[in-house]
Amino acid sequence: MTKLRAVHKSRSLLAGLLPLAASLLWSGAVISAEVSVGYLGLTDDPRYLADVTYARIELNPAGDPVSAAKMGLADLEMVTAAVDKTLSLDHRTAADAAGLVAAVKEMAAAGEQFIILDLPAPLTDEVASATRDLGVTLINGTAPDDFLRNRCHPNLLHAAASDRMEADALVQYLRTRNWTKVLMLVGPETRDKEMAAAFRLSAERQRINLVDEREFTLLADPANRDANNTLLITGGVDYDLVYVADSQGEFARYLPYSTQLPRPVIGSTGLVASEWHWGLERYGAPQVSSRFAEFTPDRRMTGQDWSVWMAAKAIATAYAKARSDEPAKIDAYLRGNRLKLDGSKGVQMNFRPWDGQMRMPVVLTTHNSVIAIAPLEGYLHQNNTLDTLGTDEPEHKCQ
Amino acid sequence: MTSARFPLLIGVFVLATALVFLALGPVQAAGTGYIFVSTEKGNEVVVFDQDMNLVKRIETSRRPRDIYFNADKTLLYVACGDDDAIDVIDVATLEVIDTIPTGPSPEVFAFSPDEKLIYVSNEEDSRLEAIDMETRVSIQDVPTGAEPEGVLVMPDGKTAYVTSEVADMVHVVDTATGAVTKNILVGTRPRRFILTPDGSELWVSCELSSEIYIIDTATNEIKGDSLIFVPPGFREEDVTPVGMAITRDGSKVLLSLGRANHVAVIDAKSYEVLDYVLVGRRAWSVDLSRDESKAYVANGLSDDVTIVDMATLKPIKSVPVGRVPHSVVIDD
Repeated sequence: MTKLRAVHKSRSLLAGLLPLAASLLWSGAVISAEVSVGYLGLTDDPRYLADVTYARIELNPAGDPVSAAKMGLADLEMVTAAVDKTLSLDHRTAADAAGLVAAVKEMAAAGEQFIILDLPAPLTDEVASATRDLGVTLINGTAPDDFLRNRCHPNLLHAAASDRMEADALVQYLRTRNWTKVLMLVGPETRDKEMAAAFRLSAERQRINLVDEREFTLLADPANRDANNTLLITGGVDYDLVYVADSQGEFARYLPYSTQLPRPVIGSTGLVASEWHWGLERYGAPQVSSRFAEFTPDRRMTGQDWSVWMAAKAIATAYAKARSDEPAKIDAYLRGNRLKLDGSKGVQMNFRPWDGQMRMPVVLTTHNSVIAIAPLEGYLHQNNTLDTLGTDEPEHKCQ
Repeated sequence: MTSARFPLLIGVFVLATALVFLALGPVQAAGTGYIFVSTEKGNEVVVFDQDMNLVKRIETSRRPRDIYFNADKTLLYVACGDDDAIDVIDVATLEVIDTIPTGPSPEVFAFSPDEKLIYVSNEEDSRLEAIDMETRVSIQDVPTGAEPEGVLVMPDGKTAYVTSEVADMVHVVDTATGAVTKNILVGTRPRRFILTPDGSELWVSCELSSEIYIIDTATNEIKGDSLIFVPPGFREEDVTPVGMAITRDGSKVLLSLGRANHVAVIDAKSYEVLDYVLVGRRAWSVDLSRDESKAYVANGLSDDVTIVDMATLKPIKSVPVGRVPHSVVIDD
């Protein structure tokens, strides 16, 4: 069998060269238009520092997701070739807001129409504000912060799931299980408070009872023991589970099995909401994860990788299917409801017109499996069930 | 006395058998009547008799998916994705008798008209390969868009079609040279094909844009607008069409609607829907019995097969099969 297999492979390799050469010749018959797609990251992005990623939780990027953008363009290479376009990624980084804004201006001057941003939310906000008149559409790939969605930058779309979408996914799960009493633990970081705020809104919408909210600290001194001791901070009150908002992950990772009551932990550890998990088995997801492994052999595909991949796919799809070479029409296609993106989560996805957020299912995962995919069965919506996740149109306000 | 009676009885029996054979199909001898279902996570092909009694669970290589008989229905071929192989089952003995090695992760396949070649889509390395059945050597290896799936070879054997789920296109392959001669852009995540009996229309199911595209095989151009079938109470985005079957006279198409848990029965000429039949969860593969009185639908999320009465267009029953049923074929 092994021997037979070896023969099979070597012969097939030779046989493969002929049609490959033929197809190259065939596609070379027409001159391709070169299209450059921008990708802008932060030099020495603190989110990717090794000491942070060492203690990383699922909410944080495990590494620079630029390879996911390359994969998105490669996945659709044949589609864009069919309309005689060749897309390539222009990957740049800058160290601060001024540098990032300058980079966007250069990219726009070079004719780039779409730029994927891999930046923390405050920088994304600054860059979008400063470049809104350039006629360039920015796609936020890795910043989940809700305030960015409420800023209503007309030049900014979001392929990353928002905090609120992830909170809604978790809360839908609690609601269907009837786990309605939640102890909320929040860290000192801004991101911790943002995540907690999203969870609070979500709990309110679905009538989940937050029995108490407590702020934890990593300071180990005895004077802070009410806030640093896992038994004390989870004691004195009854609850079905603990929700922890901890963007750094240092507290959350030691919380499961350390609570006063024998209850599950969700949020930043335990059951975690994300755009993606390598354990997803359906909808062609294993093939996506294996292709990602070819681009990035040293780690598994994360939610941030998925979002960046989808941003690239959205751009390539717009160039291929807009049936126009006019930038305005390509942009309109990208933002419109004719866009039906496949993100290997079993449903079609596109961008919400009111806040530029990509509609998507959110996976609820443990460290090694997908427990559920939201929207959960039974959640209905008058327009699109995916809009049960995140800020819906009637409650959306520009701020 | 006895000697006179026995020949009479035998005569009646022979006549009755002949009538049954005639009723089942005038062209080909009737087969076992067995229904074969591949189960992706059960690593088996499950065999039922006509009354859906379990006959045998045949252990296969890992992740069996697409299944097809050879022309005389003596052998059943099973593409096994996780072992990079196509297993061959002897229909008479219900044993795996052979295994044909393929490229990584074979999913869907088709035979050349003379059955000398198998065209198989390898979803992990994005290729359509043609394997010589006798020598077991891959004689063609055509690069496709990512995640190739549906494969169809035209009756004249000159053209093969293959979908790429990621590239949203149908590749037209010249089987003589192994070259892609055309890429036809269709909807999102194109999955499977059926060819109308006259060979003029190739239907393509596009799972995530909820559409059916029809390709005119004479020109390889899309014919008309895409078709969308939405059962009452569902939204367009709930419809994820995948599997199809067509009646021999080309009058009706059965289309599984995936997450919409229904099969659409479509007038193949007017493209109007005749009815929607409720089946199991995530209905995918569909096959018709030879007399076209029943349809069998594999439901990937409820792990069962629904039998549909084609006269009334009502489900008769659903039978548990095993983990993640993929494809159904009937030996009748």
